[in-house]
Amino acid sequence: MSSDLYREQLLDHYHNPENFGVLPDADVDVEMDNPTCGDVVHMTARLDAEGRITAVMFEGQGCVVSMASASMFTEMAVGKTPEEVAAMGLADIEAMMGGVRLSMGRVKCATLPLNALKLGLKEAGKL
Amino acid sequence: MALDVEAIRREFPIFERKIHGKRLVFLDSAASSQKPRAVIAAMTRVYTHSYANVHRGLYALAEEATEAYEGARVKLARFINAPDPAEVIYVRNATEGLNLVAYSWGIEHIHAGDRIVITEMEHHANLVPWQQLALRQGAELAYVPVTNDGRLDLAALPPLLADGRTKLVACSVMSNVLGTLPPVTQVAELAHAAGALVVMDAAQAAPHQPVDVQALGPDFLAISGHKLCGPGMGILWGRGELLDAMPPFLYGGDMIRTVKRYQSKWNDLPHKFEAGTPPIAEAVGLGAAVDFLGAIGMEAIHAHEQELLAYALPRLAEVPGIHILGPGLGERGGVVSFWLEAAHPHDIAALLDEDGICIRAGHHCAQPLHERFGIPASARASFYLYNDKEDVDALVAGLHRVVKILGR
Repeated sequence: MSSDLYREQLLDHYHNPENFGVLPDADVDVEMDNPTCGDVVHMTARLDAEGRITAVMFEGQGCVVSMASASMFTEMAVGKTPEEVAAMGLADIEAMMGGVRLSMGRVKCATLPLNALKLGLKEAGKL
Repeated sequence: MALDVEAIRREFPIFERKIHGKRLVFLDSAASSQKPRAVIAAMTRVYTHSYANVHRGLYALAEEATEAYEGARVKLARFINAPDPAEVIYVRNATEGLNLVAYSWGIEHIHAGDRIVITEMEHHANLVPWQQLALRQGAELAYVPVTNDGRLDLAALPPLLADGRTKLVACSVMSNVLGTLPPVTQVAELAHAAGALVVMDAAQAAPHQPVDVQALGPDFLAISGHKLCGPGMGILWGRGELLDAMPPFLYGGDMIRTVKRYQSKWNDLPHKFEAGTPPIAEAVGLGAAVDFLGAIGMEAIHAHEQELLAYALPRLAEVPGIHILGPGLGERGGVVSFWLEAAHPHDIAALLDEDGICIRAGHHCAQPLHERFGIPASARASFYLYNDKEDVDALVAGLHRVVKILGR
């Protein structure tokens, strides 16, 4: 009845997001928005002594694509180094979201959480 | 219905195609309209039969092209009831027309301490040029507010005109988000009485209702052709004596009378403002567009859209968790922006697309207006002469489906 984008898996993350909230004592604290669509995401993350990401949380508002991507990304980013996050791109996000092919108009929504974390890592001096 | 939509749709080849296997329900004409055969044929004819550069050649083909290009200007002048076709300047779009006024008239006439008044419902095209002009010249920018029901708060204008510092009032003839038809004639009367000039953005109004520059009373008025069944170009109309006194906006070929090594003299109107080779086939296409619309009648198109609006508003109001922006019937045109408690505008548009329904989602180039209503974005359905009640039914059914999928 519905396309790839609105299938159960993504809607579950949209309605019941993982790691929703603000991480206390975070090493990374960043907010990013897509002004043209009104999506906004606030990401917080903690890194261990070796510099690996140990926890990520997000809060924000936006469409199914941006919010589901943020929810899934908070799980995917754990265990990665900042360099590994920096090397990630659209293809990784599409794979993370179950192999969807995002239309041009939705790429910015889906990559917002990734881009936010990249910016946050840079601002925190981890990249 | 006031119009024979079946017959009108047959004039638009795009309605022959399917979207995701479904009938095309095009409800985004406020962004850009579809094109009738008459316009496509007129432009094809220029390229296949009468194309050459205008105002230059001394051969038959060039004269034919010039005649068609200038003939379109006469049609456009008639379309807006301009007293003189020379006051109709071809531009890229309404945005460029408004920028032309801001740069050419604005920089000479707006000084530090002056005030520019615009409204909260402006499209960025009639907002950012004035905002930047004010910043550049050290002038003040003031906004006439919009009421909660999306009407222009006209009572707020006279106080902004009282001290004589206001030199320019810029106002949309129809809001591209709220659909509001503000009392622009009254705005013009008040502004003129206070010695200010009036710029009207008719990009949204001109495709849907008669626009008569002599009745509305602006000093400048901008129109986008692509929203009124034409190609991607626009026109700026201005009072002849103002245009005459203004410096050129762009310099180059065709806009000059003589060029010496260290100085130049300008061509007459309208050519002074049309530097370089213009959009020749586009102008002819735009002329064909106003012929096409004129044959149907702008009054009839307006009545048709009012009828659709009267049918749509109560049905849309039944969608759970919907909030419709803008005033009620009688004070608005065929643009309906809304938001749903259950769904982000992007998701609304993406899910409707699966049903072959095209709507706009975002801030529709009116960020300050969305901010005023406390929302980051909205969804917008807009009607035109090729839409009917079936399209409204499809939209309403689609929105019920969106709520079912995304509601919890």
